[in-house]
Amino acid sequence: MRPMVHALMLTCALVASIAAEDNISSAAQSKVLALENAWNIAEEKSDVRALDLIFDNSMIYIDEDGALLSKAQFLAQTKNTHTQMQSLVTQTIAVRMFGGEMAVVVGSYRARGMEHNKAYLREGKFMDTWVLREGAWICVVAQSTPLRR
Amino acid sequence: MDLRSGAIDAAQALMNAQSRRRSEGCYRMKIVLCGLVLLSALAGNAQTASSREAQQARILALEIAWNQAVMQKDSKAVAPLLDEQLIYIDDDGAVMNKARYLANVQEPEPRLLHIANESAQVRFFAASAVVIGIWREQGVRNGKAYVFRDRFVDTWIERNSSWICVASQSTLITH
Repeated sequence: MRPMVHALMLTCALVASIAAEDNISSAAQSKVLALENAWNIAEEKSDVRALDLIFDNSMIYIDEDGALLSKAQFLAQTKNTHTQMQSLVTQTIAVRMFGGEMAVVVGSYRARGMEHNKAYLREGKFMDTWVLREGAWICVVAQSTPLRR
Repeated sequence: MDLRSGAIDAAQALMNAQSRRRSEGCYRMKIVLCGLVLLSALAGNAQTASSREAQQARILALEIAWNQAVMQKDSKAVAPLLDEQLIYIDDDGAVMNKARYLANVQEPEPRLLHIANESAQVRFFAASAVVIGIWREQGVRNGKAYVFRDRFVDTWIERNSSWICVASQSTLITH
């Protein structure tokens, strides 16, 4: 009887631990997706201060043309007055969590705006890598790939 | 009275000296302990750095193995390098899972002539590593020679003492 009770207790503990882990993972996913949304809004508004908080200082951004940008370069590009983004709509394809300290978000984007007084529409796929540092999620690597049909 | 107070003074002086010696001893002990902690931390850091260097070398070797396998269109050699849940974004924006990517590797077209990573930089985050580099591909498609360069990001995680790629994305360099 006692081994059965022990086995039952062990199973309950295991189930509780898995459930707790799932809850943590789900909460982390929600936080990362909320930050992705905040990023979109900040980029639409060219809000460099908000973007500064989202990105790690050593963030690497790979732009649609394959250019490698530092955080400072990306923020300067966002402030560029020749380019004005009017709307940025993203759709999440997948969020994968790794060990509770890293998350990869994959999605598609559709950006509309004006560049040198000409309207543009850009569509592509993105992948953003987030890490948990001192209790906060920050983006360390981001990449965009335009659709080529 | 004088004798007693002299004896008390002498005793106090002795106690103070002993106390000083004890506190000096404690101080020295603290210095030795701090030194040991510092040495151990430095040794730990050196070990971590050398371990990181070894891991970096392993990951870069896996990147080369991946390139060679792709060059030979050997999807069986590519498969163990990739996680079952791999997410792959090709340079035309196509999103692929592992099965689709492996099928793509086996495609007879294009005929690959040369594949190489022009650069590859490894960055570590907790138990994961990200490789950022430039892939150069030369080949023949539909009878026409081509060359292109992609900027890629590969995300690797360590699982059961092996590194496997969980996500990969490429962007054509056009700038």
